[in-house]
Order: sequence, then C-alpha cells, then structure tokens
Amino acid sequence: MAEKALLGIVLFPLLGAIAIGLFGRRAGRSAVHSIAVLSVAASFGLALLAFAELLRMRLDQGKELAAISFTAYEWFTLTWNQRPIGVPVRFVMDALSGVMTLVITGIGLLIHIYSTGYMSEEPSYARFFAYLNLFTGSMLILVLGSNLPLMFVGWEGVGLCSYLLIGFWYENTSYAAAGRKAFVANRIGDFGVLLGMLLLAVASNSFELSAINAVAEQRPNVFTGAFSLGPRGMPYWVVPGISFGTVATLLLFLGCTGKSAQLPLYVWLPDAMAGPTPVSALIHAATMVTAGVYLICRLSPVFALAPVTMALITTLGALTALLGASVGLVQNQLKKILAYSTVSQLGFMFAAVGCGAFAAGFMHVYTHAFFKACLFLGAGSVMHAVGAHGDADIRQLGGLRRYMPLTRATFLVSCCAIAGVPLFSGFFSKDEIFVGALSAGSYFSFAPWLGHAVFAALVLAATMTAFYMFRLYFLTFSGEYRGGPVHEAELGHEHVAHEPHESPASITVPLIILGVGAVVAGYVWIGIAHFEPWVTWLAPALGSIGAEHPHNAALIALASGLAAAAVGIGLATLFYYRKSDAPERLATQFRGVHRLLLDAWRVDQLYDRTILAVSRFLARASNVLDVYVIDVLTTVLPTQIVRAVSFLFTRMQTGLVHAYGAVMAFGLLALVLHFVVPHGDPEIIGDPQGMKVELSASAGLGYEYRWDFDSDGTFDTPWSADRNATRDFTDADFVRFAVVFEGASYGAHPRTLTVAPKESLPVSASAVTRALTSAQISADEFGPNWQHGEDNRLPQINADQDGLLITPRGARVRKDGTLQASEKPVRVARGESVTIGFARLTVSGYARPRVQVRNVFGIQRTQSVGVVVPKVARRLTAQVAAARAGVP
Amino acid sequence: MQQIELGHYLALSSVIFGLGAFGFLVRRNVLVQLMSIELMLNSVNLMLVGCNRFLPDNHAGQVFAFFVIAVAAAEASVGLAIVISLFRLKKTVHSDQADSLRH
Repeated sequence: MAEKALLGIVLFPLLGAIAIGLFGRRAGRSAVHSIAVLSVAASFGLALLAFAELLRMRLDQGKELAAISFTAYEWFTLTWNQRPIGVPVRFVMDALSGVMTLVITGIGLLIHIYSTGYMSEEPSYARFFAYLNLFTGSMLILVLGSNLPLMFVGWEGVGLCSYLLIGFWYENTSYAAAGRKAFVANRIGDFGVLLGMLLLAVASNSFELSAINAVAEQRPNVFTGAFSLGPRGMPYWVVPGISFGTVATLLLFLGCTGKSAQLPLYVWLPDAMAGPTPVSALIHAATMVTAGVYLICRLSPVFALAPVTMALITTLGALTALLGASVGLVQNQLKKILAYSTVSQLGFMFAAVGCGAFAAGFMHVYTHAFFKACLFLGAGSVMHAVGAHGDADIRQLGGLRRYMPLTRATFLVSCCAIAGVPLFSGFFSKDEIFVGALSAGSYFSFAPWLGHAVFAALVLAATMTAFYMFRLYFLTFSGEYRGGPVHEAELGHEHVAHEPHESPASITVPLIILGVGAVVAGYVWIGIAHFEPWVTWLAPALGSIGAEHPHNAALIALASGLAAAAVGIGLATLFYYRKSDAPERLATQFRGVHRLLLDAWRVDQLYDRTILAVSRFLARASNVLDVYVIDVLTTVLPTQIVRAVSFLFTRMQTGLVHAYGAVMAFGLLALVLHFVVPHGDPEIIGDPQGMKVELSASAGLGYEYRWDFDSDGTFDTPWSADRNATRDFTDADFVRFAVVFEGASYGAHPRTLTVAPKESLPVSASAVTRALTSAQISADEFGPNWQHGEDNRLPQINADQDGLLITPRGARVRKDGTLQASEKPVRVARGESVTIGFARLTVSGYARPRVQVRNVFGIQRTQSVGVVVPKVARRLTAQVAAARAGVP
Repeated sequence: MQQIELGHYLALSSVIFGLGAFGFLVRRNVLVQLMSIELMLNSVNLMLVGCNRFLPDNHAGQVFAFFVIAVAAAEASVGLAIVISLFRLKKTVHSDQADSLRH
C-alpha cells in the first residue's frame, strides 16, 4: 500500500499539470485551481501516509536502513565493461527523501493555496498552475528517484520549470531574460552533474544511489584511488594525485552550484524575482535550490571520501553566505533582499555539508523552507496590499503593522527564525551549523584551520543576516506609511496613496501555518515525545566524516550565535526603529563600498566583461565560420559542382536520333563482350576448418571450372560444372608465408602481410610509412619499452623454406613466454607465434589457388585467390591484459 | 556440292544485321533509316528460321519470326506516319533537323 503511494505522490502533480495544461484554458478558473490544489493535496496526503509507514518500519526494525521502494518498470540498460547497468523507474522513500517529500508537498500545497488568492487576477491562470504543478512533480521525481538518471530527469524538470515560471510574464523582455539566465546558469551546472553521475556509475557499476553509497562505504578505495578512465585493468588515462571521488564530486558540485545558487553560478537567483511571488517562494523554499544540498546529502558517503571537494564546498558556501548577506545589507527592494538572503542561507547549508555536518545542513534546508516560504509569501501579501507589481521599494512602505496585523505577525516570526533568535526554528539549525564548522578541524588535514575560518565567516554572515532582516522588517512594518509604490501611470501626476488592506484568507491562512512552522519546526532537532532526534533519524541515510565535537564547541557556537543575533537585531533597532541618521552617514562615509554592495559586488558586470565577452566573440567567430566556410563547403560549392556537371551532361543531349542510336549500339557491344568473356572470381566460403578451405567461383551460363590448388601450373581437378571445390591444404600447396601482425595499441585490428621464402619483411622506424602502406611493420606498433636499451636497431625478419627467422637485435622477443637472446635468430614455423614488445606475430601458410573457367564459346580465363591457413584467431582483451600484466 | 550449315545462316544474318545497324547510324534520311531498321529485324528473322531448320521438332523459331513480322508491320506503319508528320512540320525528312526535343 505504502509502496503504491510513492507512485501516487509523483503522479498526482504531473497528471494535474497535464490536465490543466491541456484543458485548463477552457475549463475555467475554479476547475483549474481545484485540480491544482487537490492534486498536490492528494500528493501530500499520500506522502503523510508513506511517512507514517516509514516511521512504523523504523520503530519495528530499529536503526536498520528503513526505506519504502516502488519499482514501476525497467527504463533502459547500459553496458559497461561487458556488464549491464540497469536503470529502473524506481521511487524510494527513506529518512532523507521522506522529510524532503513532506517539505515539498506540504509547503507546495500552501503555496498552491496562496496562489489561488494571489494570482486571482492573472489572465494566464491555467498556464501558471500547470507550470506550478509540473514544478512540484519534477521536484518529487528528483527527490524520490532511486537512481541518478531518474534523479536527473527531475533535476532537468525543475530547471525547465524555473525557466518557464521566472519568465512567466514573458511579454516583459527583462523578465524573459531573467528566465533565460536561470536556464543557462543551470545548464552549465547540469553538464557537471551528467559527467559526475557517469563517473559514479563507471566506478560502482550501478546508477542506484544506494549501491553507489554502499560502494563508498564498503570499498572506499574505488573513490579514493587515483582518477583513471578506461577498461578495468588497463586504463588508458590515469591522473595520479587526484582521486576518482574528487573528480566525480567536483563535477556533481558544479551542478549543485548552478541549481542551489552558489558561487560562481548564483547569479540567476537574484534575477529570479522576475517571476510571480509564489514562484519565488516555491523556488527559494520548497523546490529547486534545495536540490543541490539534497544531492550532496544523498551522496554524502561519496562526498565524505573527497576532502578536497568538501573543502571547496565549505569555502564557497561560506563565501556565498558572506556575499549574499553583505549585498542584502543595503538593497531597497523587498524581494531582492529576500533573494540575496536565500543565496546567503544556501551558503550556510553548503558550508555545513562541506564540513561534513550533513544533518545540520539538511536541517537548515528544512527549517529554511518554512521561514523563507513565509517571508516570500508575506512579501507577496504586502505587495498585494499596496498594489505593487514586480517588486516593492521598502523606502516607500512603512507602518503596515496597523493595516495588516496577520501578515506582520507571521513576518516577524520568520525574521526571528532566520536571524537565529533562540527557540525559533532557525536558531537550532544555525547553531548546529556552527558546531559542525567547529568540529571539522582534523577532517581537512591539509588545512586544519579551515573549519574555524568558515565558522568565523558564518558568524559574521549571521550577524549581517539578523541586521538586514530586521532592517527590512522595521522599514516595512513600523513607523508611518510612506505612501506606497509610485506607478508609472502616475508619473507627472500627484501621487495618490492607496490605503493598504489585509489580504484575503487564501493568503493569510498559508502564512499562519508557515509562521507556526517557522517557530516549531526546529524542535525536531531535539526530538519530540517518542520521536527520534533529527541526527539519529537521518543517520542511516547520511555518510559521516567521523568528526568528534570538541568539548566546548557547543558552548562557543551557542554564545556566538546568540551574540550574532543580538548585535544584528540591536543595530537594526538602533538604526531603523529609533530613526537614527547613522545609515545615511555610513553610506556617505563609505560611498564606494555602499555603491559596490548596492551593485551586488558587480559580479554580473564582471561576468559580462569576461565570460560573456568571450562567449559573444566565439558566437561572432562561429557565425563567420558558418557563413564563409561551412556554408561555402556544404551549400555553395556542391551546388556549383552539380551545376557544372549538369552543364556537361546537357551537352550530351544532342537531340539527334543517330547519336542516341550510336550510344545504344556501343552499350550493347560492351554487354555482349561481358557475356562472352567468362568470370570466375573465386572466393573463400565460410571460415577455414583447420587446413580445410571451401572455395567457390561465380556461376555463369554454361560455365565449366577446373582448379589448380598449389599454383604449380597443372590443374588438379578435371573440367566440371560444379563451381564449388574443397581443399585440405598441405605444406606443399603454400607459395608464401602469411604473417598475421597484431599491433600493441588497444583495439588495433590485426593485418596480414605475406613474405616468400628467402625474402625479408621490412620493419620501419617511423609511423609515417605505415600510414602510407599497410604492407610494412613499424616499430611504434610494438608498444612502449619494446627494446632492451635505446639504440636505432630494428629487429630483422627473414624467411627461409621452413618459416620465419627473427633476429631480435635488442628487441624484447618472446616465444612461448620466454625471452629470446638478442643476436640469435628465432625460428617461427607455420602455426607458431612470437611477441615483439606488446605486439604479436603469427605465421600461417599462404596459398594462391587458381581456377580456370570456360564458357559456351570455349573462351577460357584463369583467376586466383589468396588463402591464409590456419586462420589466426584474434586475441581477446583478457589475453592482452594478461600479456601486459606479465611484463615488468 | 557443299551443304548449307547453321554457320552460313548465322553469318548471313550477322552481315545483314551489321549493314542495317551501320545504315541506321550513318544515314540521315529518315526513310532510309526506317528501311535499315527493317533490314535488322529481318536479319533476326532469318537467324530464327535458320536455327529452327536444325531443330525440326521445335517450331518456336518460326513462330517467333511471325511475331517479329507483325511487330515490324506495326512499327513500319507508325514510323511512316511519323515521317509524314515530320515532313509536314519541317518540310524535310532529314533526322538531323528533327531535334526540337533538344532546343
């Protein structure tokens, strides 16, 4: 039952999206939001059901990895190293994905309900809800998918939906550009995810997340070993010094920086406010940006084995936290402050998981979902109240606590939570992040100070967070109302202040629920009633770096967290509640810094001048290349050739009957000639069986055949109408020796050279002659270290009546596995083989049987075919590997 | 007196066929070209009946010769009709000038 529920959780929002997308325009608004809300509500209900089952299983089975899984069908199968890697469509709910599913469906449901009120005047109502449902469904696939390809489907799905929703009002070109920016930034990351997941699959021979984690736990050397690519046992690319896990996790982390808005790919998130406010809430809280943290937590056993990647994650996380918080200090747009606050809070999460505090980082995902959703929806409520579109300038707001008490109360609660005021949810997760950073110490053996540096940065960021959130709160809700946003239509006219009003119940009810969540969500850390505490609950699903908490870490973290919140809130109160002129003084005093922060460190401009400039140059260059080279080669030139040739052929059309007649007459003559001359064209049928070869000549009218197998000039068979002949070749039949040569390079096809007795086989030093003619052997085909020493001598290959005589002359020649003396000729008879370096040389017999054909006119013709017996079987890869392994 | 062998028949028909083919290719008068075609057709008839003479139990060669005569009659009538049309159109019976398909 609970297994089937997993399918329902994913399918309901997707089916809702399809139904609304196809029929929503005609169905009317009430039908649209009923389907949208009910499908997500059903999904949430099933998620609760499945989660309850998961809890029950945990109580029954103890700490074992309890998970519910449902396999829908086998999607596709890949083959790697001759072993199949199956990819099923399978959904798994365990401790980690269970919590995530509840957050997505629960908060998603509230946002859906909120949207019915907030978007009630939107003309594209159906389109909005179709996208919103698709977004929720994609995120659920991402979270519940049991393997990387399925997860990647969801990963791309949320990328697509974010593009569609950020650019929802695509008539506005700057909004459409914001959508494109999000899409491109995400694509850059997605390429990393794709490569990373292929590397993980190559290493662990499975795409299943559980299998990859099991490999990381049971055979960690797979990921800690040097990075290499190629077939098992004989990699063709080895990078010493960098572990396999580091490369794979770095690529995955690149994807996380895109999806979860970290340095350097965070730039799309602040622009994502272009979408409707509920979308911002959905992107920032329940879906999308949490995907990166989720992916790292999901694969935490693998990430834990790559301290270099982890150091990068935590460093970039801390820097992102600082960057986002510092920009948030001075911004004036309501949603922009919240957007940079999300960037900053995501930085906290990454700083935590990078220090190995996976549970703490994920805890912040969970608490952040509540208070950030509440903040965004509250911002939406404010904008709804004052009639702002797109974004609202907080300098024009103020005093709203009188007009909208419910919105104000929930907003205040969420501000307390994000600022880390004790006993609110954000306090718990932030505290644990600090403890995690302080405990990282010995994990980063190359930089033991890193954990403390990250801790210091995070405390600073937390102080700034408390400051800018309360600055936002005071400017919006306290003091007097400053008249609201000035609309473009009013420019030049006297501004009429609209009286703000509290939002309808569809908006305030979700706010209240989220506000309550923002207060109580944190208590799962310590566990309520008989539920397990957060860390023990998640322990089976997460990896560990085995760090010990220093004995005073908890105390330091608590003290600095409290100090950060107190200083931040205190300063904000002084500056903005007490109406001090300190902010203006500081802004004028540090004008440059203020401008820099207001322009968000000018990162967008930096990217525009560097990466985008290069990209634009490449685009122009490719355009030139396309028009003047590729188009000329593929369209202009061929059409001119066709035109020229067709001109020649039109000259042939004289229109003269006798000219056509002459051509026909010559054609007939050629046909007659062809039929008068017999065609034998002998060939070998099938594979030779030992020395026995089946030969066959072409059929023809009244043809008769006779064969000369040993090419001595006398025919061995009488004239016969049977075109097939079988011959058991003997040594006397052979005219030359066939030498089958298999080069050392992996995947090289063997080629057959022939040599007559008393002749010699040329061996050249350079690869160029080999490229020109395959009738030679060149020394580079012997592979590395084919010589004992370094000189210019090449082995000599001569033939006498009984076989080949190879004089090694310094080359490593082995016969039957024994190394041969350098100057003594090695005899290789028919059917024997030797190796020179890594290449192998096998001697066979080469016969040239002839067939004579005569037709009804009595005209005779003789043709011949080369036969190599016994046939030399191609070496198997395993034999090559064994041969290589035996060589020092 | 020497017996007439198959070779003689074949040689004669080959020579007539060759004359017909040569005439068709080198003459420009459409009427002569038509006659050359007749020559070729009849050389084949001669070969067919000549061969059949040495297979007394089989009449395929003779029957086939009748078919060829019938087809040749049809061809001659259509061919002459074309020649008349060509003459009305171009006031000539030279095949060189009947090249309007080209130009």
